Amino acid sequence: MQVQGPLSAWLVKHGIIHRSLGFDYRGIETLQIKPEDWDSIAVILYVYGYNYLRSQCAYDVAPGGLLASVYHLTRIEYGVDQPEEVCIKVFASRRNPRIPSGFWVWKSVDFQERESYDMLGISYDNHPRLKCILMPESWIGWPLRKDYIAPNFYEIQYAH
Amino acid sequence: MAATSNYMASTSFSMLRWNNNNKQLKKRNFLVSAQQPQVEEEEEVVEQREENTKQAPAMTPLRPVEKQVNVQSKNMGREYGSQWLSSTTRHVRIFAAYIDPETCEFDQTQTDKLTLILDPTDEFVWTDETCNKVYSIFQELIDHYEGAPLTEYTLRLIGSDIEHYIRKLLYEGEIQYNMDARVLNFSMGKPRVGFNYNGQMQDVK
Repeated sequence: MQVQGPLSAWLVKHGIIHRSLGFDYRGIETLQIKPEDWDSIAVILYVYGYNYLRSQCAYDVAPGGLLASVYHLTRIEYGVDQPEEVCIKVFASRRNPRIPSGFWVWKSVDFQERESYDMLGISYDNHPRLKCILMPESWIGWPLRKDYIAPNFYEIQYAH
Repeated sequence: MAATSNYMASTSFSMLRWNNNNKQLKKRNFLVSAQQPQVEEEEEVVEQREENTKQAPAMTPLRPVEKQVNVQSKNMGREYGSQWLSSTTRHVRIFAAYIDPETCEFDQTQTDKLTLILDPTDEFVWTDETCNKVYSIFQELIDHYEGAPLTEYTLRLIGSDIEHYIRKLLYEGEIQYNMDARVLNFSMGKPRVGFNYNGQMQDVK
């Protein structure tokens, strides 16, 4: 029996496919969305009121498993002490990790999606300039994946 | 025991040697190695043969490029693809360019050549023979990576392999730390007493 938060109940009422992942340790509701639906659901959430993307991060769920892209949204308004927050996780398969970009809804996701692309290889459709932001351009491999093996560079191991 | 402590302890360590000749010029160890102009794709690294040196047993023959005259420093403008490929670590600098040994003019348009500058800070004492060993490893690595895309990533892999090889030479005793170096920080490991050390120190000559 999953605990359902208020946003989840609202989404169910409007017939949007999602899965509620319960609450995390700070009491923030977490939802899981499929990558195909993410485009429309992003706009729906923006219209609902979540106009501020607090952060976007990505992580590797398991070696050989899925890659997750996490969007942490909140509502900015005046005079509110505890703004509502929600956390959306979009899971992409490892072999073809493509997720629609959230750039056209929240602009601040630009650099953060570039970092997720650089580190984990999740490519975001419709992102205006998806290129490497941290690693050198000629780097081969996605460094933060759990099955990434760094080559035996001398400077990493032995240089003092 | 108090008498023996006056000896220079460095004589029992095989990694240290005092360099007695004062070098007026900074001798830079260069090797420019060429590649074949025939390419199937533009990114491939392909080799050209120019046999100039003798072969030592079990060493890859070196294939240095002839010196070119009138080399001008040319920057990589946008029309050449704006690539400036290099891999630099403390002892190994590899550039995808032709660098003149005397004048140090860079010609970055000739990306079919790789230049290796070996130990510009003189942390180790190099002889011709040890230099040639490193150059032959460099040549072997270039042949091994033939066909790989010419990016900084491959140059870094090559440079890293050469650093590992220099460290191996150091641990076998073939090169030693240069005690007259400007910066003496034993970057490849502090000197240690050898495995066959039997407690008898040699006299200082």
